[in-house]
Amino acid sequence: MSEPHIVVRDLSKTYRVPEREAGLLASLRGLFQRSYRDVEAVRGVTFDVAPGEMVGFIGPNGAGKTTTLKMLSGLLYPTAGEACVLGFSPWERRPDYLRQISMVMGNKSQMLWDIPPLDTFRVLGEIYHVPSAQAQRTVDELVALLEMEDLLTKPVRNLSLGERMKCELVAGLLHRPQVLFLDEPTLGLDVSMQGRLRRFLAEYNRQRDVTVILTSHYMADVVALCPRVILIHHGQLLYDGELQGLAQRLAPFKLIRVALRRPEWDPEGLPPGVDIVESENGRVTLRVGRAQAPALTAHLLNTLPVADLAVEDPPIEAVIDQVYQEGVS
Amino acid sequence: MSGASANLRGGWALVKATWASWMEHRGFFYLVAFSWMIPLLIYMFIWSTAAGEGTVGGLTRGDLASYYVVLILVNQLTFSTNNWTVGDAIRYGRFNFLLLRPLSPVYDALASEVAVKVVFMTFALPLAAILALLLRARFDLSLANSLAFLPALLLAWALRWLWGYWLALLSFWATRADALLSLQESLIFLLAGQVAPVVLLPGPMQAAATILPFRYMVSFPVEILTGQLSSSDLGIGFALQVGWLFVALALFVVLWRAGLRRYSAVGG
Repeated sequence: MSEPHIVVRDLSKTYRVPEREAGLLASLRGLFQRSYRDVEAVRGVTFDVAPGEMVGFIGPNGAGKTTTLKMLSGLLYPTAGEACVLGFSPWERRPDYLRQISMVMGNKSQMLWDIPPLDTFRVLGEIYHVPSAQAQRTVDELVALLEMEDLLTKPVRNLSLGERMKCELVAGLLHRPQVLFLDEPTLGLDVSMQGRLRRFLAEYNRQRDVTVILTSHYMADVVALCPRVILIHHGQLLYDGELQGLAQRLAPFKLIRVALRRPEWDPEGLPPGVDIVESENGRVTLRVGRAQAPALTAHLLNTLPVADLAVEDPPIEAVIDQVYQEGVS
Repeated sequence: MSGASANLRGGWALVKATWASWMEHRGFFYLVAFSWMIPLLIYMFIWSTAAGEGTVGGLTRGDLASYYVVLILVNQLTFSTNNWTVGDAIRYGRFNFLLLRPLSPVYDALASEVAVKVVFMTFALPLAAILALLLRARFDLSLANSLAFLPALLLAWALRWLWGYWLALLSFWATRADALLSLQESLIFLLAGQVAPVVLLPGPMQAAATILPFRYMVSFPVEILTGQLSSSDLGIGFALQVGWLFVALALFVVLWRAGLRRYSAVGG
């Protein structure tokens, strides 16, 4: 197996933030005596990412995802720990390193606002020393993949959010980075645009074999793109593995959906420890501990007029929501 | 600034694109340029009236007209619009993109400096020519003065830009460092030959103008071109101009490094 593209060991980042109460008096006090609070944004995070891998970086707001990405892209110095990306120490921000990575942020724009996207692409091509024939070829390729020929000559300020995001992706990929950090790339986009961007990213990753770390609050992004997820919460790594395994590990229950031939049935007959999530017109959804699921299935088949039965993991959104709210038990 | 600073090719591309993007708003910039001229025109009329048919401080009406016409141009050529946006770039995270590129962010500032000057000159040059004709400005140009004018102008631009830039870099620590830029502009207005040519300032103010950096950001090259300076004044002036430029450069480098360290410690 080849060397990992990204190696992170015990990476930590503590911010020292000024703190003051609301109000005029407090702001006057702050003139003379500033109080600070240490915020541990990232605490001892360790992981590797192999070349060509697409990893979903998930966690609630303020979990430390963006801080980690900023450290890996060289914008932030860590407080402790190490990171090595493509053999470089990111925060030294060596030009040779910066030429091989890219960070696309859904909530920030690097496009020049008043001129057409094509002009920004030209400037970036020069900044990254991409030979002009190659830059042209890359732009053509990306433009075709993203279906955005008609946007190239309009000033960026006249583009919609989704259209601009396509431009951000072209701008970020023009120099063919080997490692790509995507911070909420589908933020604020409508469902079909999200889908198109996802298909684009999957296709691009397949063609070019780039290493991608993606953060998103839309689980659909992660489900569609990332076989592996890293879950981070309160700055700590809670889970690193297959998306499927996340549900098994973090949600200790299964959902059993039953369709009955007759709508009426007696809930009293259920064994203890089974929750009824939904019961309407003979369609029943039950929640039960993972270990209990086979026995309950047998019990249901024996005692009820079952027309159809399915045992499922809970939806990933529900699992994530539970973790965000309660942490991991 | 590391190795990223050697990317001339990227820097030049940035200049061209910034220029194109500023030309999109030329109407706005022409209005800005015009509004900068107005106070200078007012002071020109005041001093011309004071001179009447005679002189004031040895300057005739024609001298004052030529002085202020050149001052209008030099003021526009040395004014840095970029410094006013450094703070916002730091506060609102645009700085992140500049740091992610294999190109020093200084290029971004230089690009807007060069671009905006070209845009302003497409307006200011023809207007200054018309003014010079209307006001019958008297130009008595010597070759030596014209030759000395060019380096003095270049140094004045560099000094005014870098001086403002180091003030703007305080945005790494304080949220509204642009208040200091306003202070710089006020001092330029008083001491850099705008409210009155430096020779007309009262004694203590004239001494302050001679020693402090502000005169060397705007009026020094104008005084050279309009023949107001003796050769010893010229020598001392250049020495002070270069000296202040080194001070500005040193402060800029120190604050730039410390600022980047802080930025990467606390984030944008």
